[in-house]
Amino acid sequence: MYNDKESQKIVDIIQNYARKHSLFILAYGTGCGAIEIPPTMTSRYDAERFGIRGSATPRQADVLLITGYLATKSLKRVIKVYEQMQDPKYVIGFGSCTINGGMYWDSYNTINVLDKYLPVDVYINGCMPRPEAVIAGFVKLQKLIQQGKADGWDIYKKNIDEYKANQKKIITNWVMPDFNF
Amino acid sequence: MEGIGYKILGAVLTTILAFVVGMFYGGFSRKITARIQNRVGPPVWQNFLDVLKLLFKKTSVRYGFMHHIAPLWMISMSITTLMFVPVLNDGLFFTNLNFSGDIIFLLYIMVMGSLGMALGAGSTGNPNSAIGVSRGLTQMVGFEIPWVMALVALMIQYKTTSVTGLMEVQSQSGTWLMFSSPFAFIAALLAMPGMFRYSPFDIVGAPSELASGPISEFGGKYLSTMMTSGSIFAFVKLTLYVDIFMGGASNLIVLVLKTFTLYMYPVLWGTVSARFRTEQSVRYFWGWPTFFGFIALIYAAF
Amino acid sequence: MSENILSKEQLLLDLLKKKFIINESSIKRAKRVEVKVDPKEIIPVLLYAKENSRYISFAHMSCVDWIEDGEFEVVYILWNPEDKINFFVKTRVSRDNGVLPNIDFIWRQANTYEREIREMFGIQFEGLIGRQEFILEDWEHMPPMRRDFDTAEFVKKTYFNRPGREDAKDVREFVQERTDEELPDFAKKYSRD
Repeated sequence: MYNDKESQKIVDIIQNYARKHSLFILAYGTGCGAIEIPPTMTSRYDAERFGIRGSATPRQADVLLITGYLATKSLKRVIKVYEQMQDPKYVIGFGSCTINGGMYWDSYNTINVLDKYLPVDVYINGCMPRPEAVIAGFVKLQKLIQQGKADGWDIYKKNIDEYKANQKKIITNWVMPDFNF
Repeated sequence: MEGIGYKILGAVLTTILAFVVGMFYGGFSRKITARIQNRVGPPVWQNFLDVLKLLFKKTSVRYGFMHHIAPLWMISMSITTLMFVPVLNDGLFFTNLNFSGDIIFLLYIMVMGSLGMALGAGSTGNPNSAIGVSRGLTQMVGFEIPWVMALVALMIQYKTTSVTGLMEVQSQSGTWLMFSSPFAFIAALLAMPGMFRYSPFDIVGAPSELASGPISEFGGKYLSTMMTSGSIFAFVKLTLYVDIFMGGASNLIVLVLKTFTLYMYPVLWGTVSARFRTEQSVRYFWGWPTFFGFIALIYAAF
Repeated sequence: MSENILSKEQLLLDLLKKKFIINESSIKRAKRVEVKVDPKEIIPVLLYAKENSRYISFAHMSCVDWIEDGEFEVVYILWNPEDKINFFVKTRVSRDNGVLPNIDFIWRQANTYEREIREMFGIQFEGLIGRQEFILEDWEHMPPMRRDFDTAEFVKKTYFNRPGREDAKDVREFVQERTDEELPDFAKKYSRD
């Protein structure tokens, strides 16, 4: 009975259900998108009814919410934070800046494509996305989790060399440990 | 009532009951907070989902022995405390272990869980944890004084140190201790929010200041165990208050009603107040609660 | 009343002209005075404005890259809260190895602006204390706010570009198409193609 395919399926369903309905988010709010998080969490749009809840430390968080542009300087911190989170973990890229650079696409100091450096599960388009769009993004993430497709953390582990090469290309002075797990 | 089998069954049943009731209380408090803030709020079983999800999370953090032990320490101390608190006045399963002198023992064992948390948080080396622990211990010095004063006053007044003894006093006289020795009740009630760590006394785990304080390095199964322990401990504290001051309960429905009423007091206070600083919190506990504790002691002695 | 205020602005200019070598001066409009001086006159002019004319507030300090003239123009903006007059002091230094006097002993907050200008334009300030690295981290190229630093080229070389953005037009081209006006020569020189 144990460890066969059928019982694993049941466990998967239960664990995906639990993961889906309890998302602790860690908002990396350096960009302007951070201003959209308070209305999403508070009484008007109330993300807590989906089981979404803020978390103060990366150790407890499930979702890393990257709100807006990332300078190379802050990418360093984001990588650190992402690697400190415990599996399974998801990344939501928030706003046009994370998708293709947005209005900062030709800035000397901001990255353009986030998913070359971190595995992004869901992108939310817009500059800035309204709270409705943010909640739609969360619902999309929940769907992916239920289908077992939100496996960015697994992809990151499998392609760690590629990701690290991309990261080290722009962070020239890599003074932190190679992995911050 | 006879035989060790019943006792073990009773212990297991009590633990499960405490877990379920404590978890639902947490869910209700989140729901009620949400309704006060004009939100829909999470479902009441949200805390179960959180605990379940945290159990399914992987952990790749190693901070040494004490980091692993701390959640287990906390949950075992919560269950131990639960074992020394009679859940119902009389019943087959829920009377648990009771012997003469258990209030003093309870006073000691109720702080042991926090001690385990402090040791575990200290071994992680996170500065936020260290600040949180020092704040927690300072606050404990604050609220323990009126709480101990209230209990000592009761012990002097009724010449018993047993919870069951106090319950018998209430059932014999027919009045609850909150009416027959009101000052002790007031002191204990004013000290109660400090134990529950809701606002304004959430200085230990202040999320925006300390990144959730002592538990900031505990994720996954550790946090899940701590949440379980916290919900059991909340049930224990509420049951103890009901036992001592509100005449206990003869069946589970009455128990749930009484404890829930009592539980609403820190929750509702928490929804309308902002966080104290550490010294404000201690100043609060050493103010009116301690004053009423003194009055209770004088009332009991004469 | 307006004459009175104007006369205050004129008064400042007259006093300054009497004491210092002022290359160019003008009253742009009411409550806005502008002077251009040499770098060695900066400290006396600013000190005089602060101590004698009550321009006590240091509002801003910025830099303009006049690449056609081979010079940087550094602008100090002072503010007189009593008369509500803005006072602009402008000075020019060479683009290569330009050195300016350090004024953070007059206003301490000038230190921040000076460090930023040093990092973003490469102008050195005499005796400026503070780490060379200020906002940028591990920057090993030309100071990025200089106009001869080709940002688009740098971005193409350093960062990834998501496909689908190649047809994005240069703003200058777009403006030219829309209004049919000729771009000035210097703009053509530094446009992307």
